[in-house]
Amino acid sequence: MQASELKIPKKPGLRGSVMFSISFAFVLTIVTMITVEFSLLEIIENFTRPNMVVDGLLSPDLTQIFSERSRSAFLETLQLAILGTVSGGGLSLLMAFWATDFGNPIGWLRVVVRNFNNVIRSIPDLLWALLFVTAVGVGILPGLLALFFFSMAVVTKLTSDTLDGIDQGPIEAARASGSGQLSMLRMAVLPQILPSYASFLLYGFELNLRASAVLGLVGAGGIGSRIEFFRGRLEWSEVWGLVLMFFLVVFLVERLSVTIRRRLV
Amino acid sequence: MSNLSLPNKPVDWFRNTITLAIAVAVIWSLIGLEIKWERLIDLPGDLYVIGTLMFGEMNIEDFPDLVGAMWESISIAWVGTLIAALFAIPLSFLAAENLVGRPLAWLIRQVFNLLRAIPEVILAVALIPIFGLTPLTGVLAIGIGSIGTLGKLFYEVIEAIKKEPLEAADAVGANKLVRFRWGVVPQVMPEMASFVLYRFEVNIRASAVMGLIGAGGIGNDVAQALRFNDWSVAGMGMLIVIFGTITVDAISGAARKQIIRGSSAKSLTPVEVQA
Amino acid sequence: MITFRNVSVEYRPGEKALDDINLEIQEGEFVVIVGLSGAGKSTLIRTINNLVPITDGELQVDGNSVGDLSRSGVRKLRSRIGMIFQGFNLVDRATVIQNVLMGRVYKLPTWRNVFGAYPKKDKQIAAKALNRVDLLEKAHSRATDLSGGQRQRVGIARALSQEPRVILADEPVASLDPPTSHAVMQHLQKINRDLGITTIVNLHFLDLATAYGDRIIGLRGGKVVFDGKGSECTPEIFEGIYGRSLTAEDTLQEDI
Ligand SMILES: Nc1ncnc2c1ncn2[C@@H]1O[C@H](COP(=O)(O)OP(=O)(O)OP(=O)(O)O)[C@@H](O)[C@H]1O
Ligand SMILES: [Mg+2]
Repeated sequence: MQASELKIPKKPGLRGSVMFSISFAFVLTIVTMITVEFSLLEIIENFTRPNMVVDGLLSPDLTQIFSERSRSAFLETLQLAILGTVSGGGLSLLMAFWATDFGNPIGWLRVVVRNFNNVIRSIPDLLWALLFVTAVGVGILPGLLALFFFSMAVVTKLTSDTLDGIDQGPIEAARASGSGQLSMLRMAVLPQILPSYASFLLYGFELNLRASAVLGLVGAGGIGSRIEFFRGRLEWSEVWGLVLMFFLVVFLVERLSVTIRRRLV
Repeated sequence: MSNLSLPNKPVDWFRNTITLAIAVAVIWSLIGLEIKWERLIDLPGDLYVIGTLMFGEMNIEDFPDLVGAMWESISIAWVGTLIAALFAIPLSFLAAENLVGRPLAWLIRQVFNLLRAIPEVILAVALIPIFGLTPLTGVLAIGIGSIGTLGKLFYEVIEAIKKEPLEAADAVGANKLVRFRWGVVPQVMPEMASFVLYRFEVNIRASAVMGLIGAGGIGNDVAQALRFNDWSVAGMGMLIVIFGTITVDAISGAARKQIIRGSSAKSLTPVEVQA
Repeated sequence: MITFRNVSVEYRPGEKALDDINLEIQEGEFVVIVGLSGAGKSTLIRTINNLVPITDGELQVDGNSVGDLSRSGVRKLRSRIGMIFQGFNLVDRATVIQNVLMGRVYKLPTWRNVFGAYPKKDKQIAAKALNRVDLLEKAHSRATDLSGGQRQRVGIARALSQEPRVILADEPVASLDPPTSHAVMQHLQKINRDLGITTIVNLHFLDLATAYGDRIIGLRGGKVVFDGKGSECTPEIFEGIYGRSLTAEDTLQEDI
C-alpha cells in the first residue's frame, strides 16, 4: 500500500484574546508616540549637540556635598527619610490590620480603609509634597508629611498582601482559648508577618530616601533644594556632583538594607 | 511542687542591634530636623480649607483639557517604559550569569544599579535644558530611569529558567542561536511581558509628577493651578490623576493576570521588594 | 459536665451537620468520637467551645448554657477549654514558650500580651505544661524547628497552660506517623488520668479509638449511632457506625 502524504492538523489560530491584546498594544504604542511627539531624529540631534548638562556630567564637582550647606541639606534628607518611614510605616501596620477580615470585623470599615489606601497610593510622592507645600508653606514639614503618606501607602499595601496569605491556624487557636482581638493580633498574627514587615519598612526607607532627594524641587526641603539651587544658576558640575554623591549613598544604604532584609526573611 | 526553671533565653544580638540602631536614628532625626511642629496644629484646618476650595465646586469646562493632559502622562509612561524595555532586554541577557561570563554580568549589573538609584525626576531635571519643556523629556527620563529596574527584574527571570529545554536543544546539536531561541526565549517571555506592564504602572505615577518640573503631562497643569491658586483646576486635576492611575492599574493588572495564567511563572508582582 | 439536649447545627438552612444530638459527658471522662469524614465530628467538638454556634436545642458546658452566652461569656468559657488541632495551629516563627504562653492570653491583661510582659507565675504555668509533655528544654526553639510529634506536644502544652477543665482535640494525630501518634495519645491519656481533665478526642483510626477511648461515641450523618465503652467496641459495631465494611485505611497499624 502506498503511503499517502500525511496531513498535518491545521495550526490553530492565535486565540482571539491574544490577537486582541497584541493589536491593542500596537495601536496604543502608535497613538501614545504621536501624543508625546516622539522623534528619533530629535533625540539623536539633541544628544549629539554640545550642551552644558553633559559637560557638567563629565566634570562633576564631587566635593560640593562636603560644603557646609550641602552637607546639612544632605543630613536633612536622611533625617526626613528616617522620620517619614518610621511614622508612615508604623501607622501602616494598623492600616494593614484594618484592611483584613480577622483584623477588622466591621465589613464596611474594611472597604473604606482599602479604598482610602488605594487612593493614597495613586498619588505620587512629589504631588504629595506640592500639596503640603501649598498647605503649610515651604520648608521641611511638607517634605516630612509627603514621605509619611507616601511610605504609609506603600508599606500598607505590601503588608496587607502578606496578611492575606498568613496561616489562619494560630488565629483559630487564639480564638479557641478565649483571646481578645488585640491579643490575638499580637500573638497569633504579628509574629508571622514581622520579618516581612520589617523588610517592607526597610524597602519603604529606600524609597523615601530616593524620594526625599526630589522633594526640594518643589520646595519641601532636603538635598533637592540644593540641586534646584545649582540648577537655577546653571551650575551643572555642582548639580551632578551632588546627584552622584547622593546616589552613591543611596546605593550603599540599599546594599546594606538588602543584606539585612535577606537575613530577616 | 517545686519551681521549674526555664532554660536561659538566648540573646538575639541581630535584633537588639537593629532595635537600638533604629531608636538612635529616630532620636537623631528628631533633634536634627528643625521642624515647626506647631504648624501641624493648623494643618487639618488648612487642609480642610484647601479641600473645599479644590473639590468644592468644579468647572466642567476644565475637564477635557485635564483628561488630555492625563492622557499625555499615560503616553509618556507607556513610551518611556517601552524604550526602557528595548534597552533592558538585550542588556539583561548579558547580565545573566547562566548565559554569559561572570565579569561581563557583573559590569552590566552595576550599570543597572546606578540607573536604578537615580529617580526619574532628577533625570528629567537634567534633560530639560537639552530637550526643553516637552513630553519627550519626560519620555526619555522615564526610559533611562527604568532600564535599571527592568534589567534587574529581567536577568533574575533569565537566571531562574529551567535547564531541561536547554539540554534538549544541546542534545539535538543546536547552535547557540537556536538554543537561545527555543531554550530561553519561550521561558522568559511571559514574565518579562508582565514586568513591563508592572513597570508601566509604576511609571504612571512618575510621569504624573514630571510636569511639576515642566516635563509634560498632567503634573504641569496641577502645579500651575496650585501656583496661581486656581483651586478648582488643581482639584479636578488631582481627581483625574487618582482615577486615571487606579484605572490603568486595574487594566494593566488584569492583563498581567492573563499573561501569567497558563505560564510557569511563579509570581504576579515582581519581588523587587524582597531584593 | 457537658450535656447536649436535642442539639442541631446547620451551616446552611436545611442541611443538618448535627442532627438532634443527646449526650451526657461526665467530668474526667476520656471520650473518643469516631465516624466517617463529614459525619460531624469536628462540628460536634466545635460546638462545645462555641467556635460553631448551635442552631437548635440546648448545650450545657460546665454550668453554662452555651447558646445564651454573651461575647465575654463565650471568651470566658473558651479560656477554660483547651483545644488541640490536627494542623497544630502553632505560630511557626515564634518560639515554643511563646506559643505555650498563648494559653495564658485570657487570664492576662491585654497590655501584658501585647508587650509580652508575662508575670513569673504565668511563666511557671507554661513551664510546667511544657515539662509535662517533656519539651521544657526546647522552650526557646522555634516552633518550625520541631518534628511533627513535638509540635503537637507544644499544642498540648498550650492547651494545658490554660489550666482547662476540658480538652478538645480534633484529629490530633491525623498528620503524624504511627509511633508518634501513640506517643501523643499517651500524653493525652496521662494528662486525663493525672489531672482529671475531661478529654474529648476525634479520631478516625479504629485501633487508636479502642486503645485510648474509655468511651466511644459513633457519629453518622450528624446523628449519634453508637455510645458505649471502648472495650465493648467490636469491628462489627464499627461497621455499623461506618455503614460499610472496614478497610486497611481505617486502622493505624495495617494488620486488621
Ligand atoms: N464551615 C462550614 N460551612 C459549611 N458546611 C460545613 C462547614 N464545616 C463543615 N460543614 C459540613 O458539615 C458536615 C459535617 O462536617 P464536619 O467537618 O463536622 O465533619 P467531620 O466528621 O469532622 O469530617 P472530617 O473527618 O472530614 O473532618 C459536612 O457535611 C460538611 O460539609
Ligand atoms: Mg473534621
